[in-house]
Amino acid sequence: MASSPRALLALALVLGTLILGNASSTPAIAADKLIVYSGRAERLIKPVLDEFQSKSGVQVELLSSGTTELVNRLQAEGDHTPADVFLTNDAGSLEHARELKLLRPMNMREVERAIPSQFRAPDNSWIGLSGRFWIVVYNTNLVKPDQITSLLDLAQPQWKNKLAIPNSGSEYLQAGVSVIKATFGDERTKQFLQGLKSNAGTQVYQKSSQIVEAVAKGQVAVGLVNHYYIYRHLAAQPTAPIAALMTDQQEGGMGAIMNVAGIGVTRASKHVENAKLLIEFLVAQAGQKLFADLDKEYPLHPDVKADPALIDRQSFRAALVPLARLAELREPTLTLIEQVGLR
Amino acid sequence: MVTATRFNAPSPLQWVSVITAVFLLLPTCYIVYMALTAAPTSWSRLWSTRIPELLWNTLSLAASVAFITLILGLSLAWIMVRYDFPGRRIWEWALVLPLAMPTYVLAYVYAHLFGMGGPAEQWWQALMGPEARLVSPQSFTGVTLIMTLDTFPFVYLLARSALLNLNVSFEEVARACGVSPWTTLRRITLPLIRPAIAAGLALVILYVISDFGAVSLLRYQTLTYAVYQQMTGRYDQTAAGILSLLLVVMATVFLVTERWFRRRSRFHQTSGRYRTSTRHRRGVLRTTLIMTYVVPVFGAAFGIPAAILIYWSIAAISQGALDARFFGFVWNSSVLSALAAGGAVLIGLPLAYLASRRPSRLNIACLQAAYAGYALPGPVAALAVLVLFTQFVPVLYGSIVVLLVAYVLHFLPLGLQSMEPALQQVTPNVEEVARTLGCTTRHILRRVTLPLIQNGFIAAWVLMFLQIMKELPATLLLRPVGFDTLAIRVWLEASEEYYQLAAPSALLIVFLSLPALMLLVSKDWRGRHQEVVT
Repeated sequence: MASSPRALLALALVLGTLILGNASSTPAIAADKLIVYSGRAERLIKPVLDEFQSKSGVQVELLSSGTTELVNRLQAEGDHTPADVFLTNDAGSLEHARELKLLRPMNMREVERAIPSQFRAPDNSWIGLSGRFWIVVYNTNLVKPDQITSLLDLAQPQWKNKLAIPNSGSEYLQAGVSVIKATFGDERTKQFLQGLKSNAGTQVYQKSSQIVEAVAKGQVAVGLVNHYYIYRHLAAQPTAPIAALMTDQQEGGMGAIMNVAGIGVTRASKHVENAKLLIEFLVAQAGQKLFADLDKEYPLHPDVKADPALIDRQSFRAALVPLARLAELREPTLTLIEQVGLR
Repeated sequence: MVTATRFNAPSPLQWVSVITAVFLLLPTCYIVYMALTAAPTSWSRLWSTRIPELLWNTLSLAASVAFITLILGLSLAWIMVRYDFPGRRIWEWALVLPLAMPTYVLAYVYAHLFGMGGPAEQWWQALMGPEARLVSPQSFTGVTLIMTLDTFPFVYLLARSALLNLNVSFEEVARACGVSPWTTLRRITLPLIRPAIAAGLALVILYVISDFGAVSLLRYQTLTYAVYQQMTGRYDQTAAGILSLLLVVMATVFLVTERWFRRRSRFHQTSGRYRTSTRHRRGVLRTTLIMTYVVPVFGAAFGIPAAILIYWSIAAISQGALDARFFGFVWNSSVLSALAAGGAVLIGLPLAYLASRRPSRLNIACLQAAYAGYALPGPVAALAVLVLFTQFVPVLYGSIVVLLVAYVLHFLPLGLQSMEPALQQVTPNVEEVARTLGCTTRHILRRVTLPLIQNGFIAAWVLMFLQIMKELPATLLLRPVGFDTLAIRVWLEASEEYYQLAAPSALLIVFLSLPALMLLVSKDWRGRHQEVVT
């Protein structure tokens, strides 16, 4: 059996050349290609990219992963990144990527016409595509909607062991807490976080869909999630006893916490023209509708209507903290989160 | 290799092994550097917030899983080796099947079954009243049981082959001298198979502390999971570095202890009287008793989850889950695993060979260096590999080479766990005899050593293949664009609670692992070649 290591080696070499050959031969035929890093879940972006691919003929390759993880990856990869565009669900992360000079300023008339300026970077190195709100999901059998008027109410002892929250690595949580911190200051934010921690106990989830599921099952009474998870759950299970609650709408209140999903072209992109095509596709009315509807989000294009199942966008107002500030607020917010020991 | 007999002239093999060791140590050095250059405030912050909880969670989980796997694995091995009953051969290998079931698959199946409002709870409440609760899969007990079900075959397999290879004449002598069966077991049998048990428990504990998939699906906070959360949730990687360093220290302390155990109890077969034990035939009553133990264990660890996966898969396939993309994932998974396992065997051979044949300080140090990779949790190994590649060989970055390197780094120790004993069991005398008979070193290697160690090495390859097929965190962080594996698919779908959609990939991981497992069992683990050795 002396041949076995040698046979293994031969096998390894053959397979190795096969695969490396494949991998290295792809860039050669890459003229009409676009590589997308997406922090948005695969099932919420792939249909849009497939549509774009069939319309434009540009071959799209997708890597779906966590948002912060992808920013870290882009940074580590630097000029060697294969990615052409970075698409994700958090304006703070996009702004952070811009500050790290990972993104490329874009000059595009279509964008400036379609997307209001407060939803994009001043130099268009990132462009918002759809709006999402951080809100309360509650179990309609266990909670009456008038029990909660502000997000801060969730920190009160009456919700002990009745609350589900995302873990501290979630960009939504970080962005949400950043807005609360900018509105109410460090002390109240800290109290809020301490309340969340003690009320949630072990009900700390990696995914918002799990929080909605827990609320629907009555495992907890309330949860903190992005609004569309509720509608997504209801679309699959229309009888689930859950509903969305829009908080902080009282006179002089903070307003609902908003974030956007957005896109940026990487500085190292080798397919800028294709990236432009994708952006044009996404900001056009049809693209906006497709992109926002897929995830039950609010389109940012003023002329495109949101899904009628959602709370009417005209009926509530958003917090005034500018999206681009989310990036600078993040580190101090994380310090707060860590001081409290949220996991 | 001929020069390996000279002390002063390092052989080419030695060079190879030293260079390999240096490369294998690089990622660990990077982690240590990252953690030690972290600001003291980061350390104190983590000590006051996260570290005590994480350490306790990790250590208590590892200890409880190790304890239960020891009992389960050893008792099952004993039953399978010493007793004969109808269907024994089938059960003998059925008990290895859980190795084909990734822990995160078990975790997601049981999270669904026993979770709040799940089928098991509904049934339980129908029986016991609406307020009745089952043990939550997300609790300490739940995580412990799920981990145990998946890892007991490590102990079972190693204990079983040790028992098979055991020379019963020792036991017979003891019995003949009037020693009670219980004392014989305690004084003779257990010490003889102790190295195997220690190696099995080592696999279990290292598996538990480095597992990412199950603990993340079950939201149980261990160090490894926390490292992943820090890496993927923070821009600043120092906290990940600090927590990783703790893991590395923990794993190292533990590995050193295990090695010390094994060194204290090393046995060579020296006399020519070698016999395997005879099996005791058992009547209907005993057989029933044995079955009431074996069947539930197998059912919980493999039967029930596999049935559920099949059930879910049928639903998913009828919705069109089996497309060209899916077969791409299958191909990616199989090729990656085969390549990485093959590479690891080749890389591990010189290290293990030198350490067992010429155990100089240098050679043992080289071998120890290889174990460093196991101490690195998957996410951290991935981070280190990523940084090292982008800094030094950016050309290769984005290819599967990066993944292969991460796999070899992380799983080589697992292979070494069975390559090393395979080499140790061959007494150097045999090679010396061959040499005095005029064989060249090459000849000795081909005619004597390789045939003797072949089974151990095949076992190593198979074990690594199985584990790599299931690997998650490094694959998540390092996969090239568009290069998903089955494990990634399971993870992506299961963490979004699309249980049905995750099922075909999970089932296929299990299926692809089966031939490898059968090979593993049919080779009788570390072989029956001891007769030749004596």
